[in-house]
Amino acid sequence: MRMLPIKKARAALVVLCCAAASLPAFAKEYLLTVTRPNNLHVVDPEKREVIRTIVLPGDGIPGAISVPKDGKVAYVLTNRMESVVGVDLDTGKPVFRADFSTPQRRVKGFFAVTVSEDGKELYAHQAPVQLGRSEYQVEDTYIAVFDTADGLNAKPRRTFPAPRRISLLAPTGNPDHVIALGWDMYLFNTKSGKIEKTFPIRHWERPGMGEPDVLAMWGTYEQARMLSTPYFVAKTDVPTDSPEAFKAGIAMFDLDAETLQVREFENATTVMFSSVINPARRNEAFLVMNQLSKVDTDSGKLLKRVDLPQTFYAINISGDGKEVYVGGALDKVSIHDAETLEKKGEITMPGGADQSIGWMRVVKR
Amino acid sequence: MKAETKNKRLHIVGAVAMALGVTGAVSANAAGDPGREVIDRKCASCHLEGGKLTRIPEIRKSPEGWDMTVTRMGIWHKVELTAEERRAVVKYLADRQGLAPSEAAPFRFLTERRPNMQDTPPDEEMAQMCGRCHSFGRVALQRRDEAEWRKLMHTHLGQFPSAEYSALGRDRNWWEIARDKMPGRLAALYPKNTDAWRDWSRAKHRPADGRWVVAGERPGWGAYTGVMTAVAKGNDKYEVSYELHFGAGNKVRGHGDAVIYTGYEWRGSARLGNEDTRSVFALSENGSRISGRWFLKHADEIGASFEAVRADKTAKSALALVTPHMLRAGDTATVTVAGAGLDAKVDLGPGIEVVEWLGKSAEQLKLRVKVASDAAPGLRKVVVGGRESDKSVAVYRQIDSVRVEPAFGIARVGGGTNPPMTAQFNAVAFLNGPDGQPGTDDDVRLGSVPATWSTEPFDERAKHDEDLRFAGHMEPHGQFLPSFAGPNPVRRGLNNVGNLSVIATVADGDRALNAKGQLVVTVQRWNPTPLR
Repeated sequence: MRMLPIKKARAALVVLCCAAASLPAFAKEYLLTVTRPNNLHVVDPEKREVIRTIVLPGDGIPGAISVPKDGKVAYVLTNRMESVVGVDLDTGKPVFRADFSTPQRRVKGFFAVTVSEDGKELYAHQAPVQLGRSEYQVEDTYIAVFDTADGLNAKPRRTFPAPRRISLLAPTGNPDHVIALGWDMYLFNTKSGKIEKTFPIRHWERPGMGEPDVLAMWGTYEQARMLSTPYFVAKTDVPTDSPEAFKAGIAMFDLDAETLQVREFENATTVMFSSVINPARRNEAFLVMNQLSKVDTDSGKLLKRVDLPQTFYAINISGDGKEVYVGGALDKVSIHDAETLEKKGEITMPGGADQSIGWMRVVKR
Repeated sequence: MKAETKNKRLHIVGAVAMALGVTGAVSANAAGDPGREVIDRKCASCHLEGGKLTRIPEIRKSPEGWDMTVTRMGIWHKVELTAEERRAVVKYLADRQGLAPSEAAPFRFLTERRPNMQDTPPDEEMAQMCGRCHSFGRVALQRRDEAEWRKLMHTHLGQFPSAEYSALGRDRNWWEIARDKMPGRLAALYPKNTDAWRDWSRAKHRPADGRWVVAGERPGWGAYTGVMTAVAKGNDKYEVSYELHFGAGNKVRGHGDAVIYTGYEWRGSARLGNEDTRSVFALSENGSRISGRWFLKHADEIGASFEAVRADKTAKSALALVTPHMLRAGDTATVTVAGAGLDAKVDLGPGIEVVEWLGKSAEQLKLRVKVASDAAPGLRKVVVGGRESDKSVAVYRQIDSVRVEPAFGIARVGGGTNPPMTAQFNAVAFLNGPDGQPGTDDDVRLGSVPATWSTEPFDERAKHDEDLRFAGHMEPHGQFLPSFAGPNPVRRGLNNVGNLSVIATVADGDRALNAKGQLVVTVQRWNPTPLR
């Protein structure tokens, strides 16, 4: 398979795009990331370089990225969380666009967008508000289902009600299911629109444990097929001034088994924003913000932690489990050895562009 | 693209409004007011239904509150107003739909932009639902009924969808609480119709023109007295001149203007000496006094308290300041009493004897006093012309303790388009009071004292991270100047933030007293709204 050169209006981008325009014909991994104002970058992690930059249509700022199994089209949440744009990674051309909002109704998708594994349907959790002449009216949230074949003016084919405050969606191994992470985890049947099962997180009933705080804005699951997120939770059976009173943990949802596992691994002293599971050793989790941490999720032990030269919000991992990628902030993707956590390389975004709070997604081609 | 669509819609609505004859809705006394004209011409293009204005008449706010609303309409809905139109509409609304003095009083520290203040919401739920993103005072300086508070909730989530995803929002059913519970609670606390507003809006208020004897204290500089003269320029506007005396030889002259909103809310700007300043004052309900704070236009954390008494024929021994406030037993000192209509009969309390008059005028009394060596330490009310005042002097033998104020201060790194925010500290001397213990409620405040300033790492962590080296430096007059914002490669994620102890060393005769405060040097603030 070859990725074709893309005609670009901006000369600088043409240079970037065409410098290494072809990809080998055997399966290889590429890292996708996004930067302000509205660019999608294809990174060759092996070569440590951005091999293609695709300018997304619209207003920016890009955030969530979702790609079906064949790795051909990347769906990016952009336009201030009000549009999903699908671009062909080979041609760089937009092939899909769904603008959620109309002049009378503002609709935001708060990171929770995902495409089905077969690439046929796109799911987006939507929070609408009617913009009346002199007042707003907040409406109930729902999941909108788009047909990706509907092209550049796609409208939802169907919708089904969903709780508010959902931040992540992912397709499970069952083609009729998506898992949604909000207050709890909800397993939706995308055909019936019904919640088939709720996995309690906020509403877990664990003696001695309070309600966990989950800030899950970075959906990473494609390598180990585990959707994971760090959380923080108060222990209610120890004095509040005890070092044990506040714990850090990781929640892991196995997309094929459709099971949720939670595990505390240390007293909370370090803030962690996102996590990824090692596909080669599925008991290993990596978590990131100002530090890169490695945790054994079987024993609930912190294995290793290193300070990072800057804040990184997003994390991903190579398919062989040997390299960890951290990015999603400022203009760097930093590559670390999964064993030692030592830095092995870095990639700078073209023009020093800010990844803002964008995702990183690995595609296999 | 979106903005265009919206603008087009606004134009159409505007045209419809004109066709319906909006001007017919104007009440007789408001007709011709330039602010009302702006409402009819600009705001009514959306806020008009069946010939009646919507939303706008249902709300009362402070002048800053209305100004923020107008600014917001510009940002959100592309309502373009000239500076003159903006001033006119804010004046119109603050006058007719403002807050009574008693309603605004608890949150004057917010209006006056006093640094290092923390407001106290009525309870945890109010603190978390409202006060986690902005001051609670911003809420408490508004009045609405339940339905209108609910509309504000819809606006909040519609405009700030992250409210239900951010910390202390995502841990609860934020929207359901905001929609179903908060409007009733807020309407009970801050309803649209109140007796206070009814009475204030019906009463006639005294204009501010004339001569005022003024006084106050600027941390880092000390106390001042002076004169302010306001000349009426029509429609609550004044031209104002100042002459302030900060101790011997430091005279500051100034000139500027002021507008009075809602009959008592003074908002002024003036060039004082070589500094551009803003003033946020309030006239007392009877118009005989003014109080508030003035601050630097581009650094509102630097400023001074302000108190003024009206210097007209009706003034009878009205005091603005007695300085110095602290008198040492056994000493002879020169005391200045500043005020209006002063009668040259001064009683400073037991143990303080007037030994010589150095000046006697209606606005200033200057006297030499001898403090008996056995005078009892403590406060004495100052009585002038037989009238007890709210001013006092304190006798002391020695300073028992010193406090750094603020005890917890904040500075913000800066640079580029967002200048640093400094932190000004002040050393204040105290007596222990009846219990003989420092740091308790019965301590007697003596007043600000000169100090030598230094900084130390606040704790082991700050020491380890070398906060002292990176966060900035302390000026001799107690003002901390923070470092530059932005990545500092030497310091990784910490950049130039820091956690420091601020040490004041005060000399009291041969003794040296130390006091400690805390200073956090933190990140920039990007939305410097008039009400935080």
